[in-house]
Amino acid sequence: MNFLKKTLGVALTLILCFVIAGASAGTTITYMASSDWVMDAEMDLGAKFFEETGITVDYQIVPADQYINLLMTKLNAGECTDIFGSQGGRFDIVTQLNVEKNALPLSGEAWASNVDPLAAAELSVNGVLYGQPIQDVSAVWAVAYNKQIFSDLSLSVPTTYAELKTICQTILDSGITPIYECVSDGWHHVLWFPEMGVALEKAEPGLADKLNRNETTFAQSTAALTLVSQIKEMADLGYWGDNYMANTYADATKNIASGEFAMFVANQGFPSEIHVAYPDFPAENIGYFVIPLLDNQILNMNPVGPSRFVYSGSANADAAKQYLAFIAQPENLQYLVDNVPKYNALPYSGLQNRYSDEIKAFYDAYPVHGTVYQTLVKYLNPQWMEIGKELTAMLQGDETAEQVLANIDRNRADQAKAAGDAYWQ
Amino acid sequence: MNERKVYPTYFAAGALFLYVILYVFPGIIGIGYAFTDWSVYSKELHYIGFDNFATVFSSNYNYTRYITNTLTFTVVTTVMKNILGIGLALMLTKRIRFLNFHRAVMYVPSVLSALIVGMIFRSILNPKVGLLNVTLRAVGLDGLTMQWLTDSKIAFRSVMAVDIWKGMGYIMTIFIAGIMSISPMYFEAADIDGANSWQRFRYITLPMLSPTLAVTTVLNVIYGLKVFDMVYALTNGGPGYATEVLYTGVYKEFGLGRYAIGTALSSIMFVFMLVVGYFMIRLLTRNEESLA
Repeated sequence: MNFLKKTLGVALTLILCFVIAGASAGTTITYMASSDWVMDAEMDLGAKFFEETGITVDYQIVPADQYINLLMTKLNAGECTDIFGSQGGRFDIVTQLNVEKNALPLSGEAWASNVDPLAAAELSVNGVLYGQPIQDVSAVWAVAYNKQIFSDLSLSVPTTYAELKTICQTILDSGITPIYECVSDGWHHVLWFPEMGVALEKAEPGLADKLNRNETTFAQSTAALTLVSQIKEMADLGYWGDNYMANTYADATKNIASGEFAMFVANQGFPSEIHVAYPDFPAENIGYFVIPLLDNQILNMNPVGPSRFVYSGSANADAAKQYLAFIAQPENLQYLVDNVPKYNALPYSGLQNRYSDEIKAFYDAYPVHGTVYQTLVKYLNPQWMEIGKELTAMLQGDETAEQVLANIDRNRADQAKAAGDAYWQ
Repeated sequence: MNERKVYPTYFAAGALFLYVILYVFPGIIGIGYAFTDWSVYSKELHYIGFDNFATVFSSNYNYTRYITNTLTFTVVTTVMKNILGIGLALMLTKRIRFLNFHRAVMYVPSVLSALIVGMIFRSILNPKVGLLNVTLRAVGLDGLTMQWLTDSKIAFRSVMAVDIWKGMGYIMTIFIAGIMSISPMYFEAADIDGANSWQRFRYITLPMLSPTLAVTTVLNVIYGLKVFDMVYALTNGGPGYATEVLYTGVYKEFGLGRYAIGTALSSIMFVFMLVVGYFMIRLLTRNEESLA
């Protein structure tokens, strides 16, 4: 019996030693990102990266409505993951992320010169690159519509807000919910506001500069008030259906494919996403038009999107940089373009894009381009989720459109003052 | 009391030292920061007096709503958990079949993670495909279906209801222990006197349970004032700001890098809990003092 016990003890000790040795044999890097930022194809590359280097990538995916708070708390507490994802933007990476303190410079990396210059500019401070773009930034957030439904109801693409309302009413009368909107994620319904910065800029030229110099506010802008009021009106008229508060972004493909909804604000990878998930639904059945609030007809461009940063306090900085270098290899970037349905291109040189004729026709239809306000206006993007809460409160009848704008101004001012912005002193 | 049996004060010195260093000192520093403009955006720290507290109580911000919500949550969940806990404890101290099974069923929710409960109830309370509304529609009660977590007028009530459901089993077990400790002699005497069930409860069970009730009230009040995870998991403070409580607010302020406002909110809660705690302890030790 004693012999058995001793043998068992030795065996267990040996197993423990092997387990510990095995666990400490390879490095593990942690990578935190919002949901929908790390695609399956990137995880496939992560597995390949492990095979080549022995470095494991621990992907930590956080629900979108909680991500910014969690990221900022981790950064502010000084205990972030080795790699973290965040939106880029020349103002926000300084004022919000403080990349000069929280991230490592990446200009010296071999892949840095391959990043599209427009995207790189939005990820750089004083000429030093700090981020690596994750997603396709050539895509714009526009209204994706079911062409079959439009055809059946003899509808054509709207060019004004009044036309959009007429179309929505016709669709609603036919028993279909006009627009799929998903408020529960906290971020998607916000798109209707800053993406329409192009229309605000047209209505009130120089508005972004004045906002950045603290010479005016959103609350003083008639166009901004009209814009926010139009968002509420769409919901009040039932064009977003009766479940928009609980809808989720993840269910968008299902609901558009089912024909239950006719339109959805999406980027240009959306048709492929639907087709991959629902092969009976042809990608060509989705068309696009720009969001026509404020009678907008300008293509709303954003030169940057979610990006990877290496945390300055990382104990595995070299391994993290190695991962970024691996992802940025041309064949791996091309793999992402080819295998992530919502990517048509990536902002790196030397890649083959996948634009369909339909997408090309959409871009060609809007020759006038403008930049969205989350990139153009300071202290707007960091409060994206707060804007989401303000808009939600308005949709629920708890706040007026005027209060929403005043609160956005207040939050901008608070952040600007805290940052010591000279225009707010 | 025999004075020779009282241990000397210096016996507590070690524990007191650690407590002061690890709890009191950081707490005081935290309150101190509430009087500064400490934030992630500025490297310098300036004394700004009561500005942060003025901001917290300003009508331009939603912070007073956070405080009101926290107090409402505390009062409602404390009262409901106590009432339901006593009710369940009374039922589950009777001689019924599968008694321990029933007790376990009622207790299990309290050992589940609040985040898991939150995720489950987000699914159950989904207005379109959630189990609750689907069931109501299936039995023809369409009129009772609601946007449980997405209508700002009822979302907070839903959050409180889920929290009560989760916490009442724990309170029940404390009351069961309290009821079991009551001597059966009192009930036998009451039976001889011809007391009915209500009279037995009103004049024997309830008075004898008052120390237990004080304990459960303290536990519930402290939990209610500190609530975070259940709100975070169910609504994340939404829709809009409808279900924000103090600690979700503090968390968001820290997330946004506005440390000073976060510490001001925490300080307000600290002072409030200090006052509530003082009276609670007085209430708890009332009987001990009268014995001494």
